[in-house]
Amino acid sequence: MTAEGATEKQVVVIGGGPAGLTAGYELTKFDLRPVVLEKQSLVGGLARTESYKGFHFDMGGHRFFTKVEEVKKMWQAVLGGELLRRPRLSRIYYNGRFFFYPLKPLNALLGLGFWQSILIVLSYIRWQLFPYRREDTFEQWVTNRFGRRLFLTFFKTYTEKVWGISCSELKAEWAAQRIKDLSLKTALLSMFFKPKTTIKTLIEEFDYPRYGPGMMWDAVKDEIERRQGVVRLNCDVVRINRTGSRIEGVVVRHDGTEELIRGTDFISSMPATEFIKALDPPAPPATLNAAGRLTYRDFLTVVLIVNKPHIFEDNWIYIHDPGVHVGRIQNFKNWSPDMVPDPAKTSLGLEYFCTEGDAVWTMADADLIELARREIDRIGLARSEDIVDGCVVRVEKAYPVYDSDYREYLGVVRQFIDGLENCQSVGRNGLHRYNNQDHAMLTGMLAVRNLVLGQRNDLWSVNTDQEYHEEIREQVTEHDLEEVLEGALTQVFLKLDRVALGLSAGMVSGALLFLATLALVLKGGTVVGPNLGLLAQYLPGYTVSAFGSVLGLVYGFVTGFVGGWAFACFRNATVFIYVALMHRRAELQVLRRLLEYF
Amino acid sequence: MADEKRALEQIVLTRAMQLNATVQGIVTGLVVGLGIFIATNWLVLKGGEVVGPHLALLGQFLIGYRVSFVGSLVGFAYGFVGGYLVGYVVARVYNWAAHRRERKRLGHA
Repeated sequence: MTAEGATEKQVVVIGGGPAGLTAGYELTKFDLRPVVLEKQSLVGGLARTESYKGFHFDMGGHRFFTKVEEVKKMWQAVLGGELLRRPRLSRIYYNGRFFFYPLKPLNALLGLGFWQSILIVLSYIRWQLFPYRREDTFEQWVTNRFGRRLFLTFFKTYTEKVWGISCSELKAEWAAQRIKDLSLKTALLSMFFKPKTTIKTLIEEFDYPRYGPGMMWDAVKDEIERRQGVVRLNCDVVRINRTGSRIEGVVVRHDGTEELIRGTDFISSMPATEFIKALDPPAPPATLNAAGRLTYRDFLTVVLIVNKPHIFEDNWIYIHDPGVHVGRIQNFKNWSPDMVPDPAKTSLGLEYFCTEGDAVWTMADADLIELARREIDRIGLARSEDIVDGCVVRVEKAYPVYDSDYREYLGVVRQFIDGLENCQSVGRNGLHRYNNQDHAMLTGMLAVRNLVLGQRNDLWSVNTDQEYHEEIREQVTEHDLEEVLEGALTQVFLKLDRVALGLSAGMVSGALLFLATLALVLKGGTVVGPNLGLLAQYLPGYTVSAFGSVLGLVYGFVTGFVGGWAFACFRNATVFIYVALMHRRAELQVLRRLLEYF
Repeated sequence: MADEKRALEQIVLTRAMQLNATVQGIVTGLVVGLGIFIATNWLVLKGGEVVGPHLALLGQFLIGYRVSFVGSLVGFAYGFVGGYLVGYVVARVYNWAAHRRERKRLGHA
């Protein structure tokens, strides 16, 4: 596959994570020879596989599950038989009990016990009847939807562990953003397209490389190199040279020496903040300031090797217990048995959410292992004496922080990056968006299509917030059909104009009564219209006469108006309630799966 | 993208529906026509010395209509045509009134 003029391009890809390597891989399909620069000593970025004494660890847990067809094809093409189909189980550990995740109401209520369940239901009713008037904080936002008790049980502790701040300080916008796209359109579409049963299957199982996600990226690196591309490790980008709105080259530091790498086009998955700060000459002060305001949350994984062949069934467990610092525990053996070299042992990854430089981040590895050992023992998942070894892996910039101001600052950064003629940002940190691995890969693919085929794909709009839409969109065979449907559905759910319907119904019924009366009058007879005359029982003064026909016109208009007006009122109210209920149902579906966004 | 969606909500919340007059006419015509057809045949099947004396009063307006099977077909035709006209006129008048009111609301009147 060769696009016109493509072979003259020398593309430099900054970052050897899923987005960057996918971009590199796609470029080689167009006979281009990209140079991929990776800061770390191994590829994969946030989706890398770390190793320690033959044990393999997935940092964060990466299910190979996607609804993006191109991504699915690439996984299959690169890994083929090395992709294992694995069962999925993840639960919440709270107060000594396990709860299914995504939350199943019955399981949650049974697990919490009778009295606690009663209190949760009462709390739910109380907050439904008397919600917070304002939803400024995450706490208020969830409480209004689930009740305070359920919030305290399933949301507060974990959210605070992940973000390191109180839920009463975390802005409601953070949660609302996850469901922002679940607006009227989604609610309306969800009424007509129920999710397929296959979705359930996909959620219960997922594909996973035998040796973790890094296996995929090692294979992609090999493939790029086989096609004469270059992937350079340990290359830290220290400066990005530009002339006006063109990037001329990047300066990397490798083994203590700096080197300029020139290119005609650039694709960058390095954090947007660092990208802006590395520009030479510097970006405008407003852009630099905005980039400086974008923040990240980091985490570290303490890996414990346990001298037990089997500990628990889950791929990972969310730890909501407030008595321990650990936020999530991975059981790598349950992701793939090959992640553990010795079948008699199990490796667990205890994830601690932190911020680079804070007390947890800077704690000595030995102290962290000791802390993890104490906590796993306290939780009761493994005994301290069974832990035979451990190590620590730190993951920088794991989560872009969506605080109340980030949109504004990201807008400034985006505007600047979009203004660069020969550079595109891709990936989770390049775009400062919650892109999972598959969506990060998609941004890499789309960037290459923009570059080589001259397409105009908006990379900033690719993100996991679309997931809910995708579940619905999957039911529709063609994307365009959705747009048509949207228009049609909008028409259906527009409100009826009460006065207009009253007027039209009034005019028609008035005219009908007028004509019916007049017809009988003109027809004549000994007794004129004895049956129609019975209307006088409801319409005082009405008779089947010329005068009565005029009175009938007035009566018909008034009753028709009232009937039409009332019909429109009831119809509008019914549609409003229906749409509101659908919207709420969609909201709750997302809320049930909220933890997956962490 | 989000702006578009906000716009969508804005449209649904503020704009009034326009009725398709032909569809409204056909639907109303079918409902009225079928109503007369079923009501007539119900009385025909029920039988009795005098079949449907009250429904037969429709004959005063619908020339040729009787409470019989043939009458039910005639009634269906009358009902459909009458219903169609009513539905069509209601929709057209509604659209006209709604359009005027919307223009007035938006300050274009």
